[in-house]
Amino acid sequence: MTAVAAPPFAIAGPPDPELVRIRDLIYRSAGIFHPDNKLRLLLDRCGRRMKELKTQTLHEYCDCLTIKPTRQTELIALLNEITIGETCFFRSPSQLDALRQIVIPKVLEAKSKAPLRRLRIWCAGCSTGEEPYTLSMLMLEEAQGRLKDWTVEILATDLNERSLAHATNGIYGSYSTRNLTPLYRQKYFIPAGEQLQIQPAVRSSITFSRLNLSDDGRMALMKGIDIIFCCNVLIYFDLVSKRRVIQHFYNSLLPHGYLFLGHSESLYGVSEDFQLLHLPGATAYIRGERSQGGK
Amino acid sequence: MNTAATKATLLSRIAGLDHIPTIPAVLAPLLRYLQQPVEDLDVQKVTDLIAQDKSLAAQCLQMANSPLYGRWQKIDSLRGAVVGLGFHRVSDIAMSCGVLNLMPKDIGAIDPVVFWEHSLGCALVCRHFARKISYPDPSKAYLAGLLHDLGIIVNLWVLPREFREAYEFARAEGIPLHEAEQKVLGFTHCESGRLLADKWELSAPLKEVVSLHHNIQEAHDHAGLVALVEISDLLCRMSGLNYGYIENRQVNLLEQTGFAVLSQQCKGLKDFDWARLTFEMDSYMDEVHTLVRAIYRT
Repeated sequence: MTAVAAPPFAIAGPPDPELVRIRDLIYRSAGIFHPDNKLRLLLDRCGRRMKELKTQTLHEYCDCLTIKPTRQTELIALLNEITIGETCFFRSPSQLDALRQIVIPKVLEAKSKAPLRRLRIWCAGCSTGEEPYTLSMLMLEEAQGRLKDWTVEILATDLNERSLAHATNGIYGSYSTRNLTPLYRQKYFIPAGEQLQIQPAVRSSITFSRLNLSDDGRMALMKGIDIIFCCNVLIYFDLVSKRRVIQHFYNSLLPHGYLFLGHSESLYGVSEDFQLLHLPGATAYIRGERSQGGK
Repeated sequence: MNTAATKATLLSRIAGLDHIPTIPAVLAPLLRYLQQPVEDLDVQKVTDLIAQDKSLAAQCLQMANSPLYGRWQKIDSLRGAVVGLGFHRVSDIAMSCGVLNLMPKDIGAIDPVVFWEHSLGCALVCRHFARKISYPDPSKAYLAGLLHDLGIIVNLWVLPREFREAYEFARAEGIPLHEAEQKVLGFTHCESGRLLADKWELSAPLKEVVSLHHNIQEAHDHAGLVALVEISDLLCRMSGLNYGYIENRQVNLLEQTGFAVLSQQCKGLKDFDWARLTFEMDSYMDEVHTLVRAIYRT
């Protein structure tokens, strides 16, 4: 059994087997993976939960996640700790670079003969809005180049009304804006006291709305999408619901469409309809040949 | 871009191989010695062989202490490395240091640190990938990954100016290096590598890997190993273990010839979790960067 001291933890030596067990459990049930070099972070997050639960060892905590009746609730609590503070502008630079350098040109090529020069991006689970605003800024940067004469529509949906209100308000503190370069800060934000407010031009291409990804009726209406971003959202769904959402994503996407998940998030074991694609420093999913009836 | 005549001239310069160092003196006898059955091997003999080259010995010790090679307790002697890691892993490490020492000092094109990181990364990914898919002969995987780009070393020694042009072209266009070589030189590092592999009398599987990892359709006897390297190489190039520039493209591994070849040989590839393998590479990247920079500083 491994006694856990107060953070910060130091991992010296081979990974703790209990921690590896928790890592594998999270990957199996939520689809988010912590490679060995990120295990320290996972240990830190487990440590926070252990403090809360007053458990002394990782072994004991592992039981909370696997045996105890409250295991499902505890898993959600741990996932919340894992994703906390994840939301910020320009969260995943390599993903965004791949979007600009590879995905957008591919989509434009696929739509070159389409009568309508329109690009539709859907942020499914947009939380407080940093992701759709980041995408909108990038698309504005492209507006004079590749996207000249194209209309960009960004649909940003979330279940949580409060998050959406925050997103619509468009005012952010230093934590959310920590990755912003001076150029973006100056060009697309207005100072609002200690905080920064999004410029109306960035806001104009985005439609915020409340959407429950489990609402089959509403999900079926999401059509003609070129690119979906759904980062750190599916991790909270059980396998059956996850499969349903993924099936909707498949139907929502145009044949050339792309699906981006969070960094280190996987669809393995969830869907065979999508195929993993390797982009420089990032991964995405594309629609594969559909097996009869889908999955 | 070169004509067929220029290509012939360049290839004849490579065939001379005058400027290329020979396989490091220690490694040839070491590799020969390690071909014997494990029960016949003597720890002292292996230690003595490596210790003949002091700088190689120091590098080996440094590498042996990296988590990449599976030990967490500090190893402070070569003997300790051989006992703790086993003969074959020490041989892998010695070969890895050997490749590093083959690089010309004043390169002018690809950064030697970056090249070595790619080779080492590819070796580690090959080993890991081979284990995960239950590849029938995983012991060859590391060396195959490590040596696959031998031809780049040849090009750097023999055609520094022309290779630099190819490398800069690849970087500017964001295209695979072998495609740029084909355009600029008229041939790729696979062809140059083949000449060195012949001269060094590398084993048949290694020769096939060196000469066909970008042309797997032509692989025959060792197509599985070539495929293993093709895919590991691609994964490295799409990650932070690339040649020092980003290839501006998307890759669907399921559409690679290597995937089709490997699928026939490895049941483990059916329903394989490519995403997890990709995420697992993250920790290799960090460790490889740390290790290579540490060795380069010494």
